[in-house]
Amino acid sequence: MDKTAEELVLEIKEKSELMVDLAYSSVLYDNKTLAKEVYELENAVDNLYYNLQKRALEDVKNQKHSIEDALTLLRIARAGEQIADAAQEIADVELRDVELHPILKESIQDSDVIFTRVVIEPISILCNKTLGELKLASETGMIIIAMRHENRWLYSPHKKTKIDPYDVLFAKGPEDSAQHLQDLAQGKTQEI
Amino acid sequence: MKEKNHKRRTIFGRLQKTPKWQAEEFSEIEYKPTTVKELLTEMKDISELIIDLAYSAIVFDSDEIAEEVKYLDVRMDKLNYDIRMMAMMAARTKEDAEQLAGILQIAEAAESISNAAGDIANLLSLEEKTRPILPKILKNADEKLFRLEVSENSSACNRQIGQIRIESETGMRIIAIRRSNCWIYNPQSDISLKAKDWLIVRGTDEGFIDLRDFLSGKTGGLE
Repeated sequence: MDKTAEELVLEIKEKSELMVDLAYSSVLYDNKTLAKEVYELENAVDNLYYNLQKRALEDVKNQKHSIEDALTLLRIARAGEQIADAAQEIADVELRDVELHPILKESIQDSDVIFTRVVIEPISILCNKTLGELKLASETGMIIIAMRHENRWLYSPHKKTKIDPYDVLFAKGPEDSAQHLQDLAQGKTQEI
Repeated sequence: MKEKNHKRRTIFGRLQKTPKWQAEEFSEIEYKPTTVKELLTEMKDISELIIDLAYSAIVFDSDEIAEEVKYLDVRMDKLNYDIRMMAMMAARTKEDAEQLAGILQIAEAAESISNAAGDIANLLSLEEKTRPILPKILKNADEKLFRLEVSENSSACNRQIGQIRIESETGMRIIAIRRSNCWIYNPQSDISLKAKDWLIVRGTDEGFIDLRDFLSGKTGGLE
C-alpha cells in the first residue's frame, strides 16, 4: 500500500497526461462522460499529491531523502498537479450548458495527433484478444487511452485488458493509423 | 500597406532555428488578423509537445532542451494574448460571447499547461546536487522518453518518416528532431531523416529497441 515518493510522482505524471488527452477528447467528441471522468481523475491526483507531501516529509525525517531531493520531487509533482487542474478547466467547458463553438472541434481535429473513437464490431479480429496479444501500439501506431466496456470505463488499459465486441476504444495516433484501426474495428480489414 | 502578407508561420513540422526566448519575452504585441482556429490549434499542439519536452529536459539532464521549453512557454503567452484579441473582435452577439468564452477558457488552460512545463524545465537550474534524482523518477514509466541519433549507416537516412512508417511499425512517436542547431517539432510524415539527426521519441522499451537497431544501421528495416 505504501508507495515510494518516486512512484507517487510518476503516477501523478501519468494521470495528469491522461487527463489532458481525455479532456481534449471530451471536447472533440462532445462527450460529457469523458469530461466527468477528468473530474474524477483530478480528485485522484489531488489525493496522490497529498500522499506525496506526507511521504516526502517522512522520507526527510527518516533520512531516506535529502531536503533538496524531497523538494525537487514535490516541485515536479506540483507541475503535474497544475497540468491536471488545466485539464479539468478544459473538461469544464464541455460540461457547461453552452453549445460548443464549432471552432473547438476543428482546432483539435486539425492538430498533429488525432483522437479516434472506434466501436468494435463482432466480426472484427480484435475481438476477444488482449491488448498485449494485439500489440496495437507497435503494430498500428495507435495508443489506446481509454475504453468503454458496457457501462464501465477503463483508462490507460494494460497488456492484459481484453477487447470484447461492442467495446468502444479511444485512441491517439497519426492519421493514417487511425483509418487502419477503424477498418480493423469494423472488420473491413482482417490483418493488423 | 502594412497589411501585405500576414500569413502566420507555424512552428510545427518544419526546420527552424529557435529564437532566444529572452528576446521574445516582451516583444511588441500588435494586432494581426489570424483566425482563432489557427491560434487554438497551435496552442493545443504546444500544450502537448511542451509536457514531453519538459520531462525530456530532466530525463536527459539537458539545458538545451530546457531552453526550447522556455521558448515555447514564451510563445504560448503571446498566442494567448493574440487569441484574446481575436475573440473580442469576433464577438457580435450574446451567443458569440458565450461560445467564445469557452474557447478562451481552453486557451487559458493550454497556457497553464505550458507554465507548468516551464516549471519542470526550471528544475534544471537548481543546485547540482539534486539533479541526479530527476532521471530516476521516470525510469519505471510504461511509456518513456528516449533520445536517438540517426547513424550514417542506417537506411533511414534521407528517407521520409512516412515512408519508413516509424510510428505505425514501432509505436514510437517522434516528438522533435534536432538537426545541428535547429529543431523540428512534431515532424510530419513528409520530413526526411538525415544522418546525425537527434530524435526525441516517446514509446515503450520494446519499440525503442527496434527503432534503435534500425537507426544505428544494425537492422535494414522495420518489420
